[in-house]
Amino acid sequence: MATTHVDLALEGMTCATCAGRIEGALATVPGVTATVNFATERASVDVDGETDSSALISAVVKVGYGARVIDRDVRDTEPPVDPVLTARVALSLVLTVPVLLVSMIPALQFDGYQWVAAALATPVVSWAAWPFHRAAIRNARHGATTMDTLVSLGVIVAYAWSVYALLFTMAGTIGMRMEMPIFGYAPDALYFESAAAVTAFVLLGRWLEARSKRSAKQSLTALLNTAAQQAILLVDGREVSVPAGAIHTGDQFVVLPGAIVPTDGRIIDGQSAIDASAVTGESVPVTVGVGSPLIGGTVNAGGRLVVEATAVGSATQLARLTRMVEEAQAGKAPVQKLVDRISAVFVPLVIVLAVVGGVAWFALTADATRAVSIAVATLVVACPCALGLATPMALLVGSGRGARSGIIIRGTDVLESTRRVTTIIVDKTGTLTSGQPTVAGVAGDGMSDDRVVADLASVEMGTNHPLARAVVANATSRGVMGEVARDVTVEPGRGVSGIVGSTTVRAGSLDWFTETSTTIPTGLADTAKDWASAGMSIVALAHGDRVVGLVAVRDVTKPSAVEAVKALSALGIHTIMASGDSPEVVARVAEETEIDEAYGSMSPADKRDLVVRLQRQGEVVAMVGDGINDAAALAQADLGIAMGHGTDVAIETSDIVLVSMDLRRVADSIRLSRATLGTIRGNLVWAFGYNALAIPIALAGIMGPAVAGLAMALSSVFVVLNSARLTRFRMS
Amino acid sequence: MSTTDFGVTGLTCNHCVMTVSRAAALVPGVTGVSIDLVANGQSTLHVESDSAVDAVALEQAIDAAGYELVH
Repeated sequence: MATTHVDLALEGMTCATCAGRIEGALATVPGVTATVNFATERASVDVDGETDSSALISAVVKVGYGARVIDRDVRDTEPPVDPVLTARVALSLVLTVPVLLVSMIPALQFDGYQWVAAALATPVVSWAAWPFHRAAIRNARHGATTMDTLVSLGVIVAYAWSVYALLFTMAGTIGMRMEMPIFGYAPDALYFESAAAVTAFVLLGRWLEARSKRSAKQSLTALLNTAAQQAILLVDGREVSVPAGAIHTGDQFVVLPGAIVPTDGRIIDGQSAIDASAVTGESVPVTVGVGSPLIGGTVNAGGRLVVEATAVGSATQLARLTRMVEEAQAGKAPVQKLVDRISAVFVPLVIVLAVVGGVAWFALTADATRAVSIAVATLVVACPCALGLATPMALLVGSGRGARSGIIIRGTDVLESTRRVTTIIVDKTGTLTSGQPTVAGVAGDGMSDDRVVADLASVEMGTNHPLARAVVANATSRGVMGEVARDVTVEPGRGVSGIVGSTTVRAGSLDWFTETSTTIPTGLADTAKDWASAGMSIVALAHGDRVVGLVAVRDVTKPSAVEAVKALSALGIHTIMASGDSPEVVARVAEETEIDEAYGSMSPADKRDLVVRLQRQGEVVAMVGDGINDAAALAQADLGIAMGHGTDVAIETSDIVLVSMDLRRVADSIRLSRATLGTIRGNLVWAFGYNALAIPIALAGIMGPAVAGLAMALSSVFVVLNSARLTRFRMS
Repeated sequence: MSTTDFGVTGLTCNHCVMTVSRAAALVPGVTGVSIDLVANGQSTLHVESDSAVDAVALEQAIDAAGYELVH
């Protein structure tokens, strides 16, 4: 029987338990094995035999969630923000403003205004506030109270009481005006404006947050789309253009200049340069020739290549990286929102106070109406309007400040992570070093330094290898550029040879010369050994069959990198370097930057494992990287920071994106995140605080309707002003 | 250089598209293959070739892969 694969997009999951429930539900469908990824809201389903995808969807719907089939070939374009949420926000704002005005400004009150306010508030507290009611019910089933509970309860109680007052007390009389004394018992108080305003403000906050987070979900789609869609298959020497997926292992295919390599393979004919920037983030093209391995997703920047496929489909490096990213994201526990943590204590406390207060008043006065109105007033005044704005306002201002300095912060969960970061891992390439190697030493055997550099430049002039470019740049600055060599041929991974005057001149690695039994004078061999152990790369020059000179090339450590490491240490963060470069090079850069720990020769999996190991030791890890090869580690890390011209995938899987390549911005972004989080906490304390202060007044039974309005206004104004302070945050 | 369109049935997903593409590509004379998938319906197979494609060989190849060419 045939196995088919279906991907489902899931809706309505709120925690990891939901993921487990959906997995269980899918498993009950005959012939189905499924895994659910909570972070990406996807289910990956394998179906054995004849099961319709509608059976899968109904299984998910039955346990209370939503699902739809994703077509992997089509880029999954999520709508910017849930349109229903947008509609709820728009409706509640439009209806709430008149309710607020007419309720709080007695001069605007006309005959029967209270009935109009009731009519306008009704759709707001029912339809627009429905997400809060739904979540509150869901939480109540688990015995939990969150911000949703508080909002839902406050809104319902305020509205229900107001309707009761309208129908059964003086409040409903036409011509009645609401007086606004601060203190005093008001059995006929109306709270329509509170109910509507809380709903509108909190919804607006949700909407702002959703907008800033929307692109995170598209990360994996971006990764899959890096792969080429089309390929040219070689069938008995005939070129056939086919969809990339039609290639099997062992097939031969053609990669034209400028085309994306469709799958992993090994070159069997042709020479070229490969631009791997889409996959690795490295900006320098790599020279390749017969025998060189190619990674699917990289771009052929040079000539036509004939390649034999070594891996296809899920066995390719790109697919393996995708899986690693998926696993890492799935394992990442969502941070419980700060508001919810506060609500978990605040809400039950308020409910208890309201009930106790009501009971106490009944016991003292035997006046049931009075007792209930006091309990209601307590609940209503405790529900802070500014609660909904506390987080998004700070985030909006903080991220706006960051964006001006090239720091993009994605979502509130990020801020919580930055507070706890204890260790930071950086990739060497491009972050600590300039990425542009320069000549650091020259040695000749009976030849002047100038001559060594000039001869090397002659043969290397036409090649695009970073080491060659360093040599040519050095020759130019010495003013010794000689003639261009004739008959230049490139030996990929080894070097170049050509003819200068009447001499055969070769430039390349010492290994190449050892292989070709070229004489290496002991003096030069010793120098080479010293340089190599100091972490420098070596380009050797040979005349005929004798090595006559050496040039040491090294990637210079950025001056800002030293400062950056100091700044991170000052924040109390342990610094680690993890790079794919040789241990010698890594050790040198580590020494120059005074980084705490350094590891060389790290593969993408090694980097991710390092993150996991540190996390097991209780460290909270931030990872700085720029390529797809860093994507898994970025996703695994508690805080992922993508730098500079990083690949889309690195950017999509990270929590913070830095536009510049300046490592000092990493420390800045952590400081800014911490400052933003501090502001959010301040906002929450005051948002809850002003309203909490009004609770004793409500319990004392002397709360005038103005108190609820005052608490609402004060806390909102405070939240806005406090958040605005973030615009003055100073970068280093 | 000409492009000929054929109807193919039995395709349900992207995996089928790849199988049929490969089968068609191996037919002599074919220089390009692409498919517009209509899952569980009649998909369209576009075949590019230098001269007119051998319809019999193509039908056999598609059949061997487990799908059916529509006339």
